Amino acid sequence: MKVLLVEDHIELAQNMHTYLSKEGYVCEVSASTEQAMSKLGGFDYDLLVLDLMLPDGNGLDILRWVKQTNTKMGVLILSAKNSLQDKIEGLELGADDYLPKPFHFAELNARLKAIFRRRQLQGSNVILCEDIQIDTEKHEVMVNQQLLDLTRKEYELLLYFIVNKNRVLTKQSIAEHLWGDYIDALDSFDFVYQHIKNLRKKITEAGGKDAITTMYGSGYKFISTQ
Amino acid sequence: MKLILKFTLLFLLISLGVFFVGGLITYQVVKQEIDEEQERFLLERLDFFSRWIERHSPTKPFIRDKIQVYPLESGIETDIIFSDTLVMHSTLERLETHIKLDVTKSINDRLYKISLFDLIVEEDDIADSVRESMIKIYLLLTGAMLLVGGLAGAVLFKPFNKTLAKIKSFRVDQKEPLTFSKTGTEEFNKLNTFLEEMTGKIQQDYRSLREFAENASHEMQTPLTNAIGKLELLLANGSLNPEDNDRVIATLSSLKHLSKLGQSLNLLTKIDNREFHNIEKINFTDKLAQALDNFKELMDLKSISIEQQHQDKVMVNMDPTLTTILINNLLSNAIRHNHEHGFIKTFLDDKRLIITNSGPALDVDPNTLFDRFRKDRQKSEGLGLGLAIVKKICDYSGFRVAYNYQQEQHSLEIQFNI
Repeated sequence: MKVLLVEDHIELAQNMHTYLSKEGYVCEVSASTEQAMSKLGGFDYDLLVLDLMLPDGNGLDILRWVKQTNTKMGVLILSAKNSLQDKIEGLELGADDYLPKPFHFAELNARLKAIFRRRQLQGSNVILCEDIQIDTEKHEVMVNQQLLDLTRKEYELLLYFIVNKNRVLTKQSIAEHLWGDYIDALDSFDFVYQHIKNLRKKITEAGGKDAITTMYGSGYKFISTQ
Repeated sequence: MKLILKFTLLFLLISLGVFFVGGLITYQVVKQEIDEEQERFLLERLDFFSRWIERHSPTKPFIRDKIQVYPLESGIETDIIFSDTLVMHSTLERLETHIKLDVTKSINDRLYKISLFDLIVEEDDIADSVRESMIKIYLLLTGAMLLVGGLAGAVLFKPFNKTLAKIKSFRVDQKEPLTFSKTGTEEFNKLNTFLEEMTGKIQQDYRSLREFAENASHEMQTPLTNAIGKLELLLANGSLNPEDNDRVIATLSSLKHLSKLGQSLNLLTKIDNREFHNIEKINFTDKLAQALDNFKELMDLKSISIEQQHQDKVMVNMDPTLTTILINNLLSNAIRHNHEHGFIKTFLDDKRLIITNSGPALDVDPNTLFDRFRKDRQKSEGLGLGLAIVKKICDYSGFRVAYNYQQEQHSLEIQFNI
């Protein structure tokens, strides 16, 4: 999976680069509109991660330009502005998703994988991990060929774990992934535990392996040896 | 009252005084002129009769209409004396005021007492005619002034009215600068130039402020993302000892808090800058039902029961984004400041929205509840900006918001039409 990161904050770009490289992405970084355009002109990328505010222009200009020639590439907009107008404009111009800063890297990873799945895996929307099989088209989970009866949140939680397997996910990151804008209503993230408990129970009851482990104090991790 | 009408009325009021004084002057002048003319006329007649007496040298009194000549045996010459007297008018057959000239003069060595009369133009008559003409002229003037006023309002003040209409529709966040077409009136041109400059400056300041708010948010969020990312990489290694782990988790939550603070302050600034101006008719009932649906799961997690009493199709004029933020903030608040197995009641009709929830009493003064960073000490997780945002949105949308606490029930009431 080739990704072009367009972000002018060098530290952050390197951070993302490190994280995504570990996830198996092939990453390149551009810090300006000009650099990004020359790279996009010369190479093919599967995904474009685009910051909107760049020193030499607006990321939306790159998006406009890119969408004229390359419609196969998935685009994720990063924005610090968190302005509805930018979001709407970006999505109308053909971006696949919009992620406001600050974000958890696990969230970035999950969003990128989702875009990639939607764009590239024509026909096959099945993710396999250990004995779990997720059909992202039908939103169905099979364990040992047995269909799991999951709530929407449990499904999203499992997908989030598998996409970020072997990584520690903080309760906060999980809570934000599941509840997004409504997180303000919560006075603690303890309820994340309830969901995880239910999910583990459903998986083990179907005879699946309990791959979710609690990392003391920090969060949870889905362990996969594959 | 319109300026032009005020001006016309003021003018007419002053004219009334001028006409009054003018009438008096006219009366005086006319009267004096007439008096002089009559005296001159009598003097001419005196000359004429003097010559007649010279030729005829009458010895008997000669009395005709408006003339009496008496030959005198003895006496002295006198000066000409004018006086007013009442004389029987021959054709009108009644007493009329006449001017009278008396003189005793010697003609052909004989003394004659000569009295000449003439019908006088009465003072009343002069006053009447002066009054009548003044009133007629004044009425004419009034008519003319009203006509001029109307025309001036329609023609002269047209550019001014145009300017007014333009200012009225001026929005500080509009992209185009305010421009006025050139007029033929110097004052209006000055006004328009001044307004163009002023609104241009306002727009520029507004843009800078807005850019600053957005840049501040941007400049803050990107390093925060970076810091959060670095800490998450640290966690992901799993190589930290439990104490360091706790420190990293605590730092992460502080960073998240900081980021939200920036976003909330940014939102307050945006509302202050009036950036939410897509005022439209919002189906509040739908929005509320939708939000309650979104929060359903969070309420379930805390085992909070919900009781709804909503009137159908409540339409409210406000910005859709702000509507969502308002409802979400209210519901978040009601869930957060609730206890397990508590309740939330929502009441909505076309006048008000009331959200009531169970929960422990606050230890802050309810009057300061809507201030920024005013929050209950027990719940330090919140930003302390939620209700400040609610208040700001209500003020902006022309609603009134009030808080009430009774018997372990918090209730927030929003009145739509005030």
